[in-house]
Amino acid sequence: MNEELDSQLSAMFDDELPHEECELLARRLSRDEGLKARWGRYAVVGAVIRAERGVRLNAPLAGRVSAAIRTEPELERAVPAVAARARLGWWQPALGGALAAGVAAVSILWLRGQVPLTTVPVTAQRAPQALGNDPNPYVTPRLVAAHSSPVPSTQLANYVVAHSMVSSPMARGNLLSAFITSESSAPEPVKTDLAGNAK
Amino acid sequence: MRSSEGLIAFALGCLVAGSAVAEEPAQWLERMNQALNSRNYDGTFSHWHGGQVEMLRIIHRMQDGNVSERLASLDGSGREFIRSGATLSCYLPDKRTVVVEQRPAQEPLVGFPAVNQQTAEFYDIREVARTRFNRRDTHVITVTPRDAYRYGYRLWIDDSTAMPLKTQLCDSHGQVIEQIVFASLTVSSHIPDAAFKPEVSTEGFQWVREVHPAQLAPAPDSPAWSAMRLPPGFHMTVRQAQTLPGSSQPVDHLVFSDGVAFVSVFVEHREVSLAPGGAAPQPASATDDASEAAAVGSSSAFSTVVDGHRVTAVGEVPPETVQFIATQVKATGTAGAVHGRP
Repeated sequence: MNEELDSQLSAMFDDELPHEECELLARRLSRDEGLKARWGRYAVVGAVIRAERGVRLNAPLAGRVSAAIRTEPELERAVPAVAARARLGWWQPALGGALAAGVAAVSILWLRGQVPLTTVPVTAQRAPQALGNDPNPYVTPRLVAAHSSPVPSTQLANYVVAHSMVSSPMARGNLLSAFITSESSAPEPVKTDLAGNAK
Repeated sequence: MRSSEGLIAFALGCLVAGSAVAEEPAQWLERMNQALNSRNYDGTFSHWHGGQVEMLRIIHRMQDGNVSERLASLDGSGREFIRSGATLSCYLPDKRTVVVEQRPAQEPLVGFPAVNQQTAEFYDIREVARTRFNRRDTHVITVTPRDAYRYGYRLWIDDSTAMPLKTQLCDSHGQVIEQIVFASLTVSSHIPDAAFKPEVSTEGFQWVREVHPAQLAPAPDSPAWSAMRLPPGFHMTVRQAQTLPGSSQPVDHLVFSDGVAFVSVFVEHREVSLAPGGAAPQPASATDDASEAAAVGSSSAFSTVVDGHRVTAVGEVPPETVQFIATQVKATGTAGAVHGRP
C-alpha cells in the first residue's frame, strides 16, 4: 500500500498522475496529516536531489517570528493608533499604494525568520559579458557559489517585502499565502468552524 | 457578480451552463483575471512550495462595486487577511494583534499580469490541452519563457467560469516551483457579510493602524542609478526613493520588468566599517567581493557592492537573472524620478 501511495505521490508531484487519481489523492491529502507530511518529505527529497534552491524544511518558525516581534517596537508595545502611525511609516508602499502596508508589516516578521534558512553565498562576479554583444542573448550567466554573507537578513527581508509591493498580483498572492501558513508556537487561538461554531 | 451574468451557483462536480467564448490563450488569461476579480466565490485550495503543502480558504465578493476578500489558513496559525473595500486587516491570533491599513480598493490581490505583444515576444503562450480536472472541463494554458531569464506558468482554467483551478510556477526546465490547486470552489450570486468576519474573537487584541505617508522623490544631487545592460525584454518601469526600516537614509528603488516578471533593485549607501582589531573606520571599497545570493520563497535575491553602495536585486525570476541585473547597475548621473506602475 505504501509503495502504491509513494508511486502516486511521485506521479502527482511530477504532474503525471491521471486527473481522476490526482483528485482522489488530493482529497486524501487534505484530510490525512500523515500522508501530507509524507508528501512534504518526498517533495523535499526530490528538491534536494534536483539541487533546487530555497528548499524549506519543516523547522518551526515560531521562535524566530517571536524574536522578530520582540525586536519590533511597533508591535511590542500596545501603543495608541495615532502614535503608531509615525513609527509605522516605513511600511508604506513607495509607489502610491501598490500593496497593503499591513501585508508588508506582518510579512516582514515572517521573512526575517525565513531568510537565514536559504541564504546562499556566492562569489562576486563581474557583469557577464556575453549578453550585450551576443547575437543570441538567450543564455543566462552561470551562478558560482563561493563565500561571504554581508547582507543582514533583516535588510534582505525588507527588500523582499518592498519588492512585493511592485510585483505582479500573483507574486503578491503567493507571498500572502506563504506568510499566512507559516508556523507559530503561540497557544492555539479559540477555533470555530466556518459557521462560527466552536470546535 | 452582476445580475446580468445570471445567478450561477455551483460546487465542483456540477456543470455550469454558458460556455466560454474566448479562443486565444491570451484571452483566457484576461478572462481569468476578470473572473478572479469580479465573481463571487468561496474556495479551498492547497498551496505547495518548497516541499510543504498548506490548505487555505479564499472568499471573494464584488458587491455594488465594493470588493470584500478573506484569505485564511486552515492548517494552524489561524491567521487571516480580510479586505473590505480600501481597508485590509491582518488578524494574527497567535500574536493577539490586528494590523489595519488603507489601500487602493481596486488593486487586485490575485491575478495574472496583462499579456500583450511585447510579452509574447519573450513568452510562448499557448493552450496545450483541454482536459478534465476535478471533474470540470479546463483549458490548460502555458506561459513558457523563451529563455532562462524568467519563470513560466501553467494554468488550468475552468471552461465555464474562467477560474484558475490549478496554477503552477515553473522554472525554465518545467520543474514546478510553486503550485496552487483548488480542492473545492463555489461560485454564487450572494455571499453574506458574515463570511467576512474573522474566525477568532479579537477581544483584548492589540490594534495597529497605519496611514500612508508622502512618497519620496530622489534627492536632485543624488546619483542616478540604472542598468548598463538587461536581459532581453526587461526595461525600467519605476525609479523611486523610499525609506526602509532600520535605515535613516532613503534607498533608491528601481523596478525592471518584461511585463510578466518583475525585478526590484535597491541601492543603499554603504556605511563605513571598522577595520579588524578596532582600527580606524575604513570606507567601503569601490568594489569588493561582498556578494551574496539568497532564495526567499519563489523569489531570488542577489546583493553586491558597487562604488560604495549596496546593490540588491530581488524578483520572482531565476537566481542568475537577479545576479545579472545587480551586477549591471551603475551610477550614471544625477537623479530624476521615473514613475509608472508596472
